[in-house]
Amino acid sequence: MMTKPVEAAAAPAPAIDVRFGQVGLIQVRIRSTDPGAILDELTGRVASAPLFFQRTGVCLDLTVLGREPQVEEMRPVMDAVRRAGMLPVGLVGESAAMESLSAALELPVLAPFRGQAQAAVPVVQPAERAESGLPALMQHQPVRSGQRVYARSRDLVVTATVGAGAEAIADGCVHVYGSLRGRAVAGARGDTGARVFCQEFRAELVSVAGVFRVFETLPPELAGKPVQAWLDGDDLRFAPLGG
Amino acid sequence: MTEIIVVTSGKGGVGKTTTSASVACGLARRGKRVAVIDFDIGLRNLDLIMGCERRVVYDFVNVIQGDCTLKQALIRDKRLETLHVLAASQTRDKDALTAEGVRRVLDELIADGFDYIVCDSPAGIEKGAHLAMYYADRAVVVVNPEVSSVRDSDRILGLLASKTQRAEQGNGGVKEHLLLTRYNPRRVASGEMMSVDDVKEILGLDVIGVVPESPDVLAASNSGVPVILNDESDASLAYDDAVARLLGENLPLRFLEEPKRGFFARMFGG
Repeated sequence: MMTKPVEAAAAPAPAIDVRFGQVGLIQVRIRSTDPGAILDELTGRVASAPLFFQRTGVCLDLTVLGREPQVEEMRPVMDAVRRAGMLPVGLVGESAAMESLSAALELPVLAPFRGQAQAAVPVVQPAERAESGLPALMQHQPVRSGQRVYARSRDLVVTATVGAGAEAIADGCVHVYGSLRGRAVAGARGDTGARVFCQEFRAELVSVAGVFRVFETLPPELAGKPVQAWLDGDDLRFAPLGG
Repeated sequence: MTEIIVVTSGKGGVGKTTTSASVACGLARRGKRVAVIDFDIGLRNLDLIMGCERRVVYDFVNVIQGDCTLKQALIRDKRLETLHVLAASQTRDKDALTAEGVRRVLDELIADGFDYIVCDSPAGIEKGAHLAMYYADRAVVVVNPEVSSVRDSDRILGLLASKTQRAEQGNGGVKEHLLLTRYNPRRVASGEMMSVDDVKEILGLDVIGVVPESPDVLAASNSGVPVILNDESDASLAYDDAVARLLGENLPLRFLEEPKRGFFARMFGG
């Protein structure tokens, strides 16, 4: 005789909650349905910030296309987006054909964002600054080899060591009040103003807004010292902190 | 013609990575183009043993997932220019490896004209170990002269004979070699450790090399210089012999007896 699961004996907790909530979603504005061009451009985008774009849900905005795409036309577009590493989760469009597209592609039609829909800006909004007002993500335990700590839309403060082979990543700045032996990635979503600070510099790799440097050997003027790193144009600069 | 060699054992800590690094270096030192791949996703070590841990930007998983090209991920050795290292990912787990992805990377290395691809298998018999051996033409089974290592090697030999592409396609199977490491002639003589003949008899395979237990191995690992490159070490000479035998040379086994001072200095000193 099988024993009942523990949950069944306790007060019945609902298996699901249905809530209304908002999530940020990347919009990919489709201006052309040429899958080759889409794949090329998106692959470049994904490569520039793989942590951010890889396997990220995106919404395909068809309002700027200016016409009603056919289902057969949209399938290669979806394939191109998926092959670039993103996952389409919805459609935005105003035309009457959206319903049939939605049914054929098995994607929901989402309400268009009117404020941005007409602006002729790049496909994806780059350089989203970490000005969300969120407090920094605090990490008081060491970040061990193979671990990855990511502070989305905010700074990351680590009050312990970031071990070799570990990754401390933030959309804002990365502060390490300990030894930085692994990788530090600031401005993971392209914020060129983000910086990396650490108490004891022994990093393997430092990146700001996609510009990175690998430290095969540590420069003697930085090794073991408090150091900050920032982006000066396209150059990643490093300097000891304090006097 | 590219040959894919898997270095495997089943048991952990017997010297797979040390052997992969030394065999890869030994082949490259003989002018072969060699790529050595770390299959231990999540617990990468080969980069440390090879001394290139600070040069790892992209890894094996990045290549499989298309984040970068194979060329970007291959790290060229600073000592031997025909030797390349493909590091494992430290932040992923072994599920990131796929049979199709591994095949693609191996095919690209083959198309690039590498002579040898050395696959450093993780311990165990799960996905990483399975994929490391699956496409192999040859296997170097690393075994310590003790019962648990021998039993695990027996298990691995069984898998090599059934769960590999060559076994499944029935075209001769994977060519298997035994490599004994941590061999201590003094302890063998006193009966504490199994002898080469014991191991050969239990596993029914010929031995391609016997690497004596040596403090040089630990020193080599810690300094990031594969032990085969330390020309003054018995372990180095033993690995070099093993590489020569892999390439078809017929050399007698050495270091099976306890070294006698003076005699050794005359034979191998300098």
